[in-house]
Amino acid sequence: MTAADIVPGIANGASGGQPLIEVRGLKKHFPILKGLFSRPAGTVYAVDGVSFHINHGETLGLVGESGCGKSTVGRTLLKLMEPTAGQIILRGEDITDHNQGRMLPYRRQMQMIYQDPYASLNPRMSAGEIVGEPMVIHRVAAGDERRDRVAALFKRVGLRPELMGSYPHEFSGGQRQRIGIARALALSPELVVGDEPVSALDVSIQAQIINLLMDLQDEFKLSYLFVAHDLAVVEHLSHRVAVMYLGRIVELTDKTSLFDMPLHPYTEALLSAVPIPKYSARSRKRVILKGDVPSPINPPKGCHFHERCLYAYARCREETPVLREVMPAHLAACHLHDDGVKLPLGRPAAA
Amino acid sequence: MSQGVSAGGPAQEIAFAPGSAILEIDNLRTHFFTQAGVVRAVDGVSYTLRAGETLGIVGESGCGKSVTALSVLRLVASPPGRIVGGTIRLGGTNLLELAESEMEAIRGNEISMIFQEPMTSLNPLLTVGRQISEAIVLHQGLPPREAMDKAVDMLRRVSIPEPERRIHAYPHQLSGGMRQRVMIAMALSCNPKVLIADEPTTALDVTIQAQILELMRELQDTFGTAIVLITHDMGVVAENADRVIVMYAGRKVEEADARMLFESPGHPYTRGLLGSIPKLDVAARLDAHRNRLNEIKGMVPSLNDLPEGCTFAPRCEFATDQCHAAYPPLTQHRPGHLIACWHADKLLAGVA
Repeated sequence: MTAADIVPGIANGASGGQPLIEVRGLKKHFPILKGLFSRPAGTVYAVDGVSFHINHGETLGLVGESGCGKSTVGRTLLKLMEPTAGQIILRGEDITDHNQGRMLPYRRQMQMIYQDPYASLNPRMSAGEIVGEPMVIHRVAAGDERRDRVAALFKRVGLRPELMGSYPHEFSGGQRQRIGIARALALSPELVVGDEPVSALDVSIQAQIINLLMDLQDEFKLSYLFVAHDLAVVEHLSHRVAVMYLGRIVELTDKTSLFDMPLHPYTEALLSAVPIPKYSARSRKRVILKGDVPSPINPPKGCHFHERCLYAYARCREETPVLREVMPAHLAACHLHDDGVKLPLGRPAAA
Repeated sequence: MSQGVSAGGPAQEIAFAPGSAILEIDNLRTHFFTQAGVVRAVDGVSYTLRAGETLGIVGESGCGKSVTALSVLRLVASPPGRIVGGTIRLGGTNLLELAESEMEAIRGNEISMIFQEPMTSLNPLLTVGRQISEAIVLHQGLPPREAMDKAVDMLRRVSIPEPERRIHAYPHQLSGGMRQRVMIAMALSCNPKVLIADEPTTALDVTIQAQILELMRELQDTFGTAIVLITHDMGVVAENADRVIVMYAGRKVEEADARMLFESPGHPYTRGLLGSIPKLDVAARLDAHRNRLNEIKGMVPSLNDLPEGCTFAPRCEFATDQCHAAYPPLTQHRPGHLIACWHADKLLAGVA
C-alpha cells in the first residue's frame, strides 16, 4: 500500500485536482514595540515561510511545541490575522488581500474550534444563541427555522436540545467543546481549523470529542487543519501531518510515513519523547534532546534546529535547509538527506 | 487470569515488593464543606509507599489524586476542606496528630512536593538561589554562605547550565523547563525521604518533559528518594512508575505493579481509560481507516452527589443490579493486584 492509496493528491498535489485550500510562503511576523513612542525593537518570526495544502475531506495535522507558530498558522489561514507575506488560495482563488467585506462570504466556509471552550464562548449568551449567532450574522436562517437548525446541531454533536437555554457555565468542559463544535458547523463550512480542540479535556472525554470530529468529517466531508501538540492524537485524527519547529515546517508527509520513518531529526526526537501507555515501552531506545526551544525573536542561523540536533554538522549552522521531497510524497527540510536518503535516524516509535 | 487469592476479603495492603514502608496512608478521608453540600474529594484511600520506589497515582480531574497529596502535607485549605478520618504515617508517626510547628519540620525536609506550574510555588520577588538556600538554612541549620554553595550544587545536579550565574536569576528569567528544574532542586535540597510530584511535567513540551522525567529517575537513583508521581497521563505512568494506583471519584479503584496494570488491567474504568487513549504505536495507522477510540460514556459524577453503589456503574458497560446497589470492596485478585469491582474476576478471566 502506498501513501497515495490513503489520500488522493498527497503532498505535492500529485493527483486528484485542486486542493480546497493552499498556502504558499506564508509569513507572520509580529513587531516588538518598546517605550513611550512604541519604537520597533525587534521582530517575532512566528511563522516564517510555510507552504502546504489541504484536500477536500482531508485532515492535515500540524504539530509542534509551544511557540513554534502552529496556532498562528491556523489563525492566519482563516485570515483572523493578516499575513505578513505569502498567499492563501481557497479553491484556486487568492484571498490573501481580501478586506473584511470581501471575506464575509468566505468566512462561512472556514470555521474555527478553540482549545478552551470556556474562554471562547460568550458567558452572557445561552448555548442556543451561541450556536445560532453565525446564522444571524450571515442571515441564513431566522425565527423557527433557526431554532430548528440549532436544535438539530445540538443533537448532532451529542447535546440535548433542551439545554439550548442554558449558559456556558452550566456545562462541563466536554459539553462546552461540543457547543463550540456545533457553532463551527452552523454555516456548513468546508474547512474547520481546530486549535488544540481536545487538549484541555480529560482522557475519557477527549476520546468522545475525537470520535465526534471524525464522524462529522465523514458525514459532512469536512476538511480539517488540526493544530495540536499531542502527537498520538494527531496521528489518530490526521491523514497527513506537518511538523513545525520555530516558524517553519520541517517535515510533511502522510502519517504512516511520518511515524514509521521520520526523516527529520526533530520529528525523530519528538516521537521518541512521547510517553507510550504500555509497560513494554520502557525498554525502547530514546532520543533526549538537550536545551530548550530557541526564541522566535532571535532564531539561530542556518537550520533552526541545529543547536539541539544530534546529527548537526558545519553546514547546518550556516545554511537553511529547504523543505523538499526527499522520498516520494515525503518532504523534509534537512541537509542530511542531500546525497540520497540517509537513515541514521532510528525507528523511535515502539514496535 | 484470576488466581482468586483472598478474593472477597476486605482491602488489605500486603507487602509484595522489597523495600520498607516509608509512608502509609490508611483510610484517608478529606471532605470539603461547601454551600452546595459535602464534597467527598477523598473518601477512604489507603496506600503504602516503599523506600526507593515510584508510586504512580492516575485519574481524571476531580478524582482526588491531588487532594490526597495535599492531605499528606496537611496543606488542604481549611475551611472549606477538612481531613475527617484516617491516618497518615511517616515512619510510624501519624502526621495528623502533629502540631502545626512539628508539621513545618516535616514539609520540605522529610516530604517535599513539586507542582504542575512552578510559577505558583516560586516567589517571583526572590532570586532562585535565595529561595533554595532559605530552605537549607531553615531545615539543615547551615550558615547562609554554605547554604548558597549547596544551592549552586543542587542547580548543577539538576543540569542547569552555569549554576553560579543562574543562582542570581529571578524565576521569570527562566524557561518553563528550567523553572521545573529549580523546583526539583529546591525539593531535593534537604534530601527528603518522600517526593510528591503533582503533574510535574503536564505544563511542559514533550521534549522538555522527557528531560525532566529522566532527571527525576537519575536523582532517585542518586538520593534513593521514594516518589509519588501524580498524573493524568497514562504514558508517563507506564514509563516511570513501579506501582500504580487508579483513582475514580475520590476512591482507589485499582492498584497493581505497573506491568500487571498495563498488561492486564482489571477495573472497567482502567480498561476504559487505556482504550480511550490514542497510541502512537498501534497498528491502526497501518490501515487506511482511522479507528474509533473506545469511549467511556457520560462523565465523572459530581462529588457532592455520588450515585448509589459503585460510583462508576452509570458509565460502566458491565454494570449489573449488584453494582448499582452496593459499592464493591477493594479486594486482592492476584498477589499485589487490588481491584474494587464486583466483576473483576470475570474481567480478568476474559469472560465478561
